[in-house]
Order: sequence, then structure tokens, then C-alpha cells
Amino acid sequence: MIFAVLIPLLVACFIPTISKAKSKIHTGIFTFFVPFFIFLYFIRFVGEDFTPIRQTYNWIPSLGINLDFYLDGLSLLFVLLISGIGSLVVLYSIFYLDKQERLGHFYVYLLLFMTAMFGVVLSDNVFVLYTFWELTSISSFLLIGYWHFKERSRYGALKSMLITIFGGLSMFGGFILLSVITNTTSIQAMISQADVILSSDYLPLILALILLGAFTKSAQFPFHIWLPDAMEAPTPVSAYLHSATMVKAGIFLIARFSPIFSGYEGFFITVSLVGIVTLCWGSYMAVRQTDLKAILAFSTISQLGMIMAMLGFGTTAAVFAAVFHILNHATFKGSLFMVAGIIDHETGTRDIRKLGGLFTLLPISATLALFGTFSMAGVPLPFLNGFYSKELFFDATLDLESASLLAELIPYLAVLGSIFTFVYSMYFFFGVFTGPKQLNQLPKKPHEAPFGMLVSPIILVLGVILIGLFPSMINAPFIQHAAEAVNSNAEYHKISFWHGWAYPPLIMSLIVVVLGLALFLTRKKWSGIYKVLPGKLSFNRVYNSLISKLDTYSAGITNSYMTGSLKLYMSLILVTMIVVTTSIMLFTNGFTFSASNLADITVIEVSVVIIMAVAAIATIFTKHNMAALLILGVVGYGVALLFVIYRAPDIALTQFVVETITVALFILCFYHLPKLRKTDDSGGSKLMNAVIAISFGAMMTLIGISAHSTNLFDVISDYFLETSYKLGGGDNVVNVILVDMRGLDTLFEIAVLGIAALAIFSLIKLKKNKEAE
Amino acid sequence: MSNLAVLPIILPLVAAIILIFFNSKVHVSRALTKVFSLVGLGLTGYIMWEVINNGTIIMETGDWIAPYGIVLVVDSLAAVLVLTTNIIAVACAFYAPSAGLGEKEKYYFYPFFFFLISGVTGAFITGDLFNLFVFFEVLLMASYALIVLGGDKVQLRESLKYLLINLFSSMLFVTAIAFVYGALGTVNMAQIAQRVQEADQQGILTTVGILLFFVFATKAALFPLYYWLPKSYVVPNPVISALFGALLTKVGIYSIFRVFTLIFVHRVELTHEIFIWFAGLSMIFGIIGALSTSNIKLIVAYNIIPAIGFILLGIGVMNETAISGSVYYLIHDMVIKSALFLLVGVITYVAGTSDLKKMGGLIHTYPLLGWLLFISAFVLAGIPPFSGFIGKLLLLQGAFEGEHIMIILIGLLTSLLILYSVAKIFINAFWGDKDAMGQIKKKSTKGMVAPIVFLLSLSVIMGVGAEYFYPVADSIAAYLMDPQIYIDSVLKE
Repeated sequence: MIFAVLIPLLVACFIPTISKAKSKIHTGIFTFFVPFFIFLYFIRFVGEDFTPIRQTYNWIPSLGINLDFYLDGLSLLFVLLISGIGSLVVLYSIFYLDKQERLGHFYVYLLLFMTAMFGVVLSDNVFVLYTFWELTSISSFLLIGYWHFKERSRYGALKSMLITIFGGLSMFGGFILLSVITNTTSIQAMISQADVILSSDYLPLILALILLGAFTKSAQFPFHIWLPDAMEAPTPVSAYLHSATMVKAGIFLIARFSPIFSGYEGFFITVSLVGIVTLCWGSYMAVRQTDLKAILAFSTISQLGMIMAMLGFGTTAAVFAAVFHILNHATFKGSLFMVAGIIDHETGTRDIRKLGGLFTLLPISATLALFGTFSMAGVPLPFLNGFYSKELFFDATLDLESASLLAELIPYLAVLGSIFTFVYSMYFFFGVFTGPKQLNQLPKKPHEAPFGMLVSPIILVLGVILIGLFPSMINAPFIQHAAEAVNSNAEYHKISFWHGWAYPPLIMSLIVVVLGLALFLTRKKWSGIYKVLPGKLSFNRVYNSLISKLDTYSAGITNSYMTGSLKLYMSLILVTMIVVTTSIMLFTNGFTFSASNLADITVIEVSVVIIMAVAAIATIFTKHNMAALLILGVVGYGVALLFVIYRAPDIALTQFVVETITVALFILCFYHLPKLRKTDDSGGSKLMNAVIAISFGAMMTLIGISAHSTNLFDVISDYFLETSYKLGGGDNVVNVILVDMRGLDTLFEIAVLGIAALAIFSLIKLKKNKEAE
Repeated sequence: MSNLAVLPIILPLVAAIILIFFNSKVHVSRALTKVFSLVGLGLTGYIMWEVINNGTIIMETGDWIAPYGIVLVVDSLAAVLVLTTNIIAVACAFYAPSAGLGEKEKYYFYPFFFFLISGVTGAFITGDLFNLFVFFEVLLMASYALIVLGGDKVQLRESLKYLLINLFSSMLFVTAIAFVYGALGTVNMAQIAQRVQEADQQGILTTVGILLFFVFATKAALFPLYYWLPKSYVVPNPVISALFGALLTKVGIYSIFRVFTLIFVHRVELTHEIFIWFAGLSMIFGIIGALSTSNIKLIVAYNIIPAIGFILLGIGVMNETAISGSVYYLIHDMVIKSALFLLVGVITYVAGTSDLKKMGGLIHTYPLLGWLLFISAFVLAGIPPFSGFIGKLLLLQGAFEGEHIMIILIGLLTSLLILYSVAKIFINAFWGDKDAMGQIKKKSTKGMVAPIVFLLSLSVIMGVGAEYFYPVADSIAAYLMDPQIYIDSVLKE
């Protein structure tokens, strides 16, 4: 199986070269064989006696991240969808995309996406699944932004990436929680520990995180907003990623984790509710659109909501219907996207207001669209697969295991959503193909698409019809296995067209058709309702304002403290230090005082210290440069005096020298220094500064006293005194310490001085050179 | 006892001194710089090998036995950091000639460069708290020199703030060392650790520890102590920014690592809990900063702060998984930050501006730069299969093992915003019409791209080939979780 995942990636590496070398041949032709052979490889697994296969390749075993590929019914369904639709889409794109386009890029992204998608559906390892999951977001980002010279493309690409990667990261968080709780990274192993997960305190959080991943990816309400903007991508991409495969990754995820969560009421409520709301909202919004692809985008949102809802129900019937509809949706929606692409390609517009009466001009496309839209609408005809899945859906809504209010409401909401589905399906078909022709409105003179472009939608529509005519044909060998992977109790389901008049789902279908037809015909009369709902209520607005607020607020917050004022920075730093450090000191009872090892304090020391303190305070109030400098010198000499008193003549000498040089240097530079400016601080801020400065000083003093009073151990300097002569050969301990015991310090302190000297030299020299120029 | 421990410090020092004499011969300087940096890489690679196979290398300088003399300790953490430092040094050494330094190359850029490396390596290797201070001074003085080199007005203005804040923290550092010595009577880190342990971290010790934390946090640019960082990292030449971004803040976070996994580990519920707060706030405010600007250099500079937050998170959580995550993330971040600083340097150079609003459509002329940036965005945000992912995975797993849910959510959201902040550069600068910026003449990026590719491939390898790197991080974490190993190996008891 690893080859299915990796071959697209490998081929992608060579595509740029091939594309350049064989620029006369459409790059899509080379690409086509990749999904096609993968499809052929996997189709042979379809059969009644299929059993799951597992293959493991070590990647990062010490972190539990391995390429564990697990092919069961569910992944097989997805693999065939990805490779099957993939082949058709590539075939279609050969005719859709001109050779002038940057085809190399296009097919690299597309192959990258295939690898990612195969990886998602085949991985049994949560972290590998997550890896591929993000890769689908990334390749989708690149494909949506394929025509990145368009502002809308860039907007759509960023939007889809932010929303889906947001979900991806959230899902990743859920996976981390799961992996820590179950101590495994394998989904199947997690399923076998479902009871451990269900009894965890973190269950609601885990579920929320994973569902966020699924809902964002599968464009569920209110995260659906990225999907309509993703339609900026070339149409083959929309048909492939944003309808048939990638957006179903969220569905896949829910299906995959259903065996764990399906017993949990929170799962039923959230997933069903979100699904059914998405179904209604998406179909309601689709009717309002004027762009063909936008209609299809909202239709996809709504259909995904329907599948999601069924997975939320979790009953055997619902799961079976969900899986069945995943396949059906791919067939009719894929063909409809391709037809939309054909119309765009042949007429130059996708605006339904400009289109009309194209049936005679594009008869084949129109026929294809007829089957596609009617199947989507669930019109009760025995050759439309959409009808069967809709009927199964209705059936499932009537047979819920939960007894909550939501369960009561669901059948009604299902019918409501389906009515609008019916309306937009009719709107799409009749709006484009019937009615008055407006050829002067069209940028191009329309004619039927070339045969090559029609092949793929024809194949898909044949699928619609075949599944419609023989709905139970693929059940046992295919759908059944997929359903079993989601709900192990799923039973073999024989699907038939006719159950008698009294069959409730049929009645629901008929209601849908009748009311749908009525609403469709009176469409213009009630379209004013969109001014009320959604009106100005739009999640797009939320997203847009979120993004723009993110920028303005972050700038506001940052600029409020990054003012460039050193005084503000220092105050903030000091306040933080004071608050945290003193709290720690209080918490740990840090303060201690002991006078046991203090030297005697005499009048001399006291007077020196008082002089120093007075001088230090005086500096603050001095208004003249020179005076401030000299007074500061008093503090320095005071320190030197203290060294004298404590019998450290060499250090005192050093201090005297340093102090003198500093003062001398200052006096030398005095001429160039600016005058001391009066601070224009208000009294309040001066007081604030004083409070901060004094508390910091007080804090340091207290810590100093406590540190000095803590005498638990011998000091290492005793050793220095002992060995200074014996081992160091010097009587002067300070000297021995400086040049021998801690010679490394001295070496690098010298280096520091050297660097400083060089720095000053180069600063002056370089400046001079500049001025000379 | 092996002299090997001192070589990574001495080699750049010697290189710096030699290069002072070749200041006017730019070609010689360049060649020598490349040679010395490669020798350094070979040397530290060998040391790494030696440490992994034969354990910690300890050197008592001047034969003054521990704990009385200065001890150099190359344990696995120090070795891996020193190796990474030298990898970045090589990349910068090869980038520098094309970086447009101009006259600065003659005015001791290369000596300062090696002084900086020497200081950084010394800080990683030393086992003595006061000696750590000395190496801090070396690297800070070298960084002052590099940041003012050229002497533009804006440079001087920003470097003054940088200098004053760092000077303050240096003073605080010496004071804190005095407190440590006053309370414990030693500056040898192993002995400090031993004595703190014997005293059960009673009394003032925890407070002194927190004081040290603040010293290092200022260097590491943690919230709310990073004000000096963003602007001062933006004004110098990109190669200098890359060195700063990759190395300077990391020395700070390394010191927190050392001090709070070795010494102050007896009141974890208090001290390390605070770190988690600081980590979270650093992530939030750092990324808010990155989103606040359209200056691409500033975007990258602000991104340093959340990364430091992630590393601190692991120290705060303080279990083996989280610590190994921190180690992994630390190395990852050193590599990717230097790559990104170099990359935005090239982008600024070819675009002639660092303002995102004035850019567009660069991908038509510079596709390679575009894709490099694209990949870096995902590396930085910790999207698999790149290096950031492994670190993040371990950190978050560790955080959950420690039941710190809130910080996991903050971390995830921060990752998204990190991605957004860099993806913005890709979308606005690279996508768009071919002549979005008017007719721009293609400038040569010769010599600038190779080092970036080198660093970025390292990031990819560290992600995809994590199986080869993770065991090292894991063994470092296991080692750090047991401070006794360090104490015993230094004090030989």
C-alpha cells in the first residue's frame, strides 16, 4: 500500500522536468496514469470475502510514529474514490487547462494532494494521519491560489488554509490527548480501548478537538465559509478536492472514530445537530447564488451536512446510508462540477443570470446535468442513485436511538433541507439549459464541448444510472464492508425502489418534490427572505472582521507598550521582577536575618555610608551635568573607602583608579554631552518611578540580607587561602585567584575589553570614512 | 579530564585574534573565516560523538580541582548546543561575503563574529556560575560591537536600549551570583546544586533562584522582558540578525534550562508553575507582536518570542517527555531562526524594501526564494513532517501528562498564528502579478541561497529523520531529570 501513498509524491518530483522537456505534450497525460494504475490496483480488493489488510513500515518508532497502513472497507471506499475520481479529473483537466498554463505546478500540487489524501485514509497511526491531513490543507491552499494574480484566489487560499489548519491543529491536540490516555498511536488499538476513552474526564475536550478538525475540513456550519471561496481554484480542482475527496476527509475522520464515540450522547447531539443544520443552511443558501460553482459549493456543504448527520445518528441503517451516499454524492456532484466547468469553458461565464436556453446548443452536457441534478434532488426515479440514498436518509431519521428533542426534530429538518436541495437542483438545471437564450450576454459563442472533456462526466453519470438501476449490486462486496468498519453491527441491506405507498420515507420524498416544485416556481416571490436571513448575519463577515481585527488589535496592543521609551520598558521589567520575586519570597518565607557573622560597625563606616547615600540621592536632584558627575564620583570613592576600611588595599586602589578615570573621561567628553534636560514627567509618573525604584532597592536589600544570613556551608575561599602559596606559588591570594585559579575568567575579561576597544575604534573610523565620502 | 572541552571556546578566540590582523585584506578574512568555521564544525562534531559514546567531558582548568577552580563541563546538552552553534556559524560564515556588509567587513566584522561564537560556546560549556557571567559579557560585548557596526543613527538608537537593558540584567546577574555565594559559599554549579539539595532549597534560596531566572529571562527575551529585542534585531545586517536570533536568546534559555533542571528543582510546584505562565504569555504576546507589523524582518524577530515560550513550557512542565521536547525544539529553533533571518535578508535585498505592503509577485523572478519561505513557514509553525513538529508533539504530550490543558490550547492556537504570520509574507510578497512591483531588475542572490538551503534541509532532516535525533534528545532529557548525574560527574563523589 505504501506505493499508493508514495508514487504520486515521487512522480510529482519529476513532473517539473517532464513538463519542461515535453512541453508539446500536455503534462496531464503523464499524470493520468498515476491515479489510474492505483485505481486498478485497488479495485481487485472489492469482493464479498474482503478482509482488512495491515502493513507497517517503521518511520519514527521511538515516538510511535510509524507508517501503519490499514486497508478496511472504509479506506477502500475512499481509496477508490480518490484514485477513480482522480483519474477522471486529470483526464478532464487535460482538455480544460490550456498548455499555456503553468501545468507543471498544477500537476505537482495535484499529485501532492493525492499522496496526502491516500495517506489520510490509509493511515492507522494518528500522527501520520495528521501529517497527511495538513498536507491536504497545504496542497489545497496551493491549488486554490493557482491563479494567484487574482485577489480573490489569494483571499480564498488563505481563508481555506487558516480554517482547515485551525481544525487540523485542534485535531492534533485531540490526538495528543488520545495517545497519552490510551498509550498508543494506532487508531485500531484506540478503538479496542474505547471504554478507557469513554471513562476519561477529558472525553468532552477530546471529542470537541477532534470534531473541530472534522467540521472545518468538511465545511460544516459555521466553518463552511471557506468552501465557496475555494471555488477560485480551477474547476477540475473544485470537482476533485472540494467536492469529491478532500472535504470528505472530515466525514472520514468521524466515520473512523465512530466506533469509539458512537455510544456517547454528546457525540450524537453535536454531530447530528451540526450536520442537519449544515444540510439546511447549505441548501437554503445555494438557492440564492448566481455563480454556478457557488451553487455547487453550497450544495456540497449541504450534502456533506447530510452525511455528517447520518454518521451522528450512528444507527446501522444511518451508517449504511452515509457510506452509500459518500459514493453517490461523488458521482453526481463530480459530474455536475465538470458540466459547470464545460459551461464556463464554452460560454466564458458561470453567471446563471446570463445563461439560459443552452439545451439545444450543448445537448450532451445538458443531458448529463439533467441526470446529475435530478439525482441530487432525490427525484423518485429508479435510475437515479441520489433517490436511494435520500430515501435511506429519511428512513434513518425516523428510526433514531436517542429520545431527545433533537431526535424528534430531525425528520422535519431533514425534509426542510431536502426541499431546498430540490429547489436549487431545479434552479441549476432549468436556469442554465431552458428559458430564453441570452447569447449577446455571453463572452463566447457557445457550442458543445470537445469529446475529451465529456468523457469524464459521462462515466460519472453512467455510475449514477448504474447504481440507480442496480442499487444492491455493490452492496455486499463493497458498501457493506465500509459500513462495517464504521459500525460493526451494520447488516446487509437490500435496497429496493418500491416499498409501497405507505412507506413513510416515500411520503417524505413526495412532500419534498411537491413543496420543492412549488417553491421553485414561486422563487422570485419569496427571494426577499434572504434580506432577513441571513441578511447582514454572515459568518463571512465574522471571519473578515476577525482577520482585520487580528491585524489592528495586534498592532494596537503591541504599539501600546512597544513605544520605544526605555523608561517604560524598564518600569515594566522592574515591576514584573518586584511582583514575582517578592511574592516568591513571601510564599517561601525567604526572609531571614542573623547578625552572627557581621563585623563590628563603627562610626567611620556609618559616616561613609551616610555620605554615599546622600550623594546618591543628590544626583537625582542635580540639574547640572558636571555637578551630577562629581557627586556620583563621591559614591565611587565612598566604595573605595569601604574597601580600605575592610583591609583590601589592592581592591581599594583599583576602585580609586577606575573612579578617577571615569570622572576624567566624563570631563573630557563634557563639552560634547547634551545639557541635562528637565524631564517633562508629571508628578504622578515621577511618584510612580520613585515607588518602583525604592521597592526594587528595598527588595534587593532584603534578599541581600537574607542571603548573607543564610550560612549553611563553608565557603570555598578557605581553600584558596590554604592553597594559594602551596599550589599557586603566590602569597597574594587575590593575584593567584586572578591569574591562576580563575585565570579563564581573566582571559575572557581581557577579551571583553579588547572587543570594546575594537568596537569603539571601528565605530569612530567607519563613521569618519562615511563622512569623508 | 580532557582538554577537548576547552577547544570549542579557544578555537574561535584564536580565530578572532588572528583575523584582527587581516582586517584590511577582505579576501583573506573571508577565506580564513570559512576555514575556521569548518574546523569548528568538525571539532564540535567530534566532541558530540565523543560525548555520546564516552559520556560527559570534564576539564578542570589550570588543574584546580572542582569545586574550587573553574570547571568546563561538556555534557550531552552542552555538546549538542555547541554543535548547533557551529553549524549556524558555518552557514553565516558562508553567507557573510554576499551579505552586503561593505566596509564593515574591514572593520572587524569577522573578529567580532568569532568573539561572539566563543562567548556563546563558553556559556554552554562552563560549569561555573561566575564564569557563565564572564562568557555572557563576552558575547554581549561582541553583540554590542556587531549591532553598532556601521554607526547609523537608527542603529545607535536601538542599540542603546539593547545595551542599557542588558547592562542592567548583567548587574543583576553579578548581584545574584553574590547572593548565591553569600548563601551557599560557592559558585561551582554542581556544588551549588548539591548544597541547594542539602538545604532542601529552604529560606531565601528559591528567591535567589527566581532572581537568576529574571536575569536569564531578560537575555532569553521572555514576556515581559523582551522589549529590547524586536527593533534591535532588525536594524543590523541580516547575517548579524541571524546570529543574534539563533544564538543570543538561546543562551538565555539554555541558562534557565541548566539552572532549573540542575539546581533549583526542589520547589517545582512553585517555580516551574510560574514558568508555564511566562511561557503562555510569551507565546501570546510574541505572536501578537508578529501579527502587528508588515515589516518582514520584524515579523521574524517577533517570532523568536513564542518559540522561547515553547522551550520554556517544557522546563515548566518538567517531565521527561516535555524536557526532551524542549531540547528538540531548542535545536530546531536555532536552525530555523537563523535560516529565516537570512531568508528575509535576501528577500529584503531583492525587493529593495522590507515592507510587505510594497511587495508582490516575487515568485515569478525568484521562485526558489518563494518555496524556501513557504517551507520555512511550515517548519516554523511545527507542521509535520518538519523539525518543529517533533518538538511540539513532545512538548504538548508532556504538558498533557502534567495535566496542563490550558497551555496546550494556547500552544496550538499560537502555532496557527505563527503560520499565518509567515504565510502572509508568502502570499503578499511572492504571489501576485508578475510586475506587481513594477519592472524590477533581477538581482543576483549568488552565495546567499546555499546557506539557507543548507539550514532548511537540516530542519527537514531533523523532522523526517527524527528517529536518528530523537534518542539523543530523549537521553538528554533523562539525564537532565536526574541532576545527581551531573553533580557526581563534576564533584567525583
